[in-house]
Amino acid sequence: MALINKVMPGFSATLWMQDDVTPTPLTDTQLATWTGQVADIIGTAAGGTGTAGIAVPVEAIPAFGADDAFAAYSVAGARTGAKITTQNQVTSMTITAAWNPADAAMLQIRDDGESGTVIRTYVVATYDGTNTVAYAFNGRIGGMQWDMAPGAEGKFTFTIHPTGGNSYGWSTNP
Amino acid sequence: MTTQQNPVDYAVAIQAQLTTTVSPVRVYANFNRNFATEPKFLTWQLRNVHQPVYTGPQDNKGIDRPVFQVSIFAQSMNDAFSISNTILQSLHGYAGQFGGAGGIWVSKVDIDWLYNTYDNELGLNQVILDCTLDIPA
Repeated sequence: MALINKVMPGFSATLWMQDDVTPTPLTDTQLATWTGQVADIIGTAAGGTGTAGIAVPVEAIPAFGADDAFAAYSVAGARTGAKITTQNQVTSMTITAAWNPADAAMLQIRDDGESGTVIRTYVVATYDGTNTVAYAFNGRIGGMQWDMAPGAEGKFTFTIHPTGGNSYGWSTNP
Repeated sequence: MTTQQNPVDYAVAIQAQLTTTVSPVRVYANFNRNFATEPKFLTWQLRNVHQPVYTGPQDNKGIDRPVFQVSIFAQSMNDAFSISNTILQSLHGYAGQFGGAGGIWVSKVDIDWLYNTYDNELGLNQVILDCTLDIPA
């Protein structure tokens, strides 16, 4: 695996998504498979092939990964208790983009959010100019808001809520 | 996604727009002492050309909001204020094509009257305006 071995600047990250109107999201196994799967969603600008995906022009990639989660119990009058770890949810990503009403990715996200049922594979790609590390997950769009405050550019904010079982996978170019 | 815009286009448009707005008063980019023999004229300078850069490829940028400073010079204080008022009335809040045919498109012009002053050496009143352009990318 051609894993990047250096500390990456934050702006080297890009967001990509499947470009079909009615996509078939990747399976859990495929989310961690570079060749023919994740690579096809990532464009050539970030080391992929771009045959099945488009870039989402966002301002910054928010923190992603998994939420902290546990179940706790306690006993009245005593300190006896425990935190029992549970399977953590995949973190939702709230993303801000400069609003371009004609951008293909934003139009598709707007349609997905309006539908509320479309599950699509999204990929965060980190690229050093040669190699790519990708975090892929499936999600639905929610929380769409447009902020057209005068005195600044228009902002489009939306949240990608992960779905499915494990629903995310890491991969890197071979 | 957008590419970096060309400040040369801004400069051409600013010169053309100001010339039209205050005609027949002369408009110059930057100050030259030779102008000081004229009873009234104005100069402008462009600054803060900057499109925010977002994550990923080079063409992922936001809109530009440059500022051009207009310095109105006039031997008469009344002239200086009148020319300034002409610019305010014409351009403050203006949206549309800026700089005539072939000019740039601006979504809003915002003018801030900074101050007026007097140069005793030149014998000229001055009014300084900051004009912010919102240029969609």
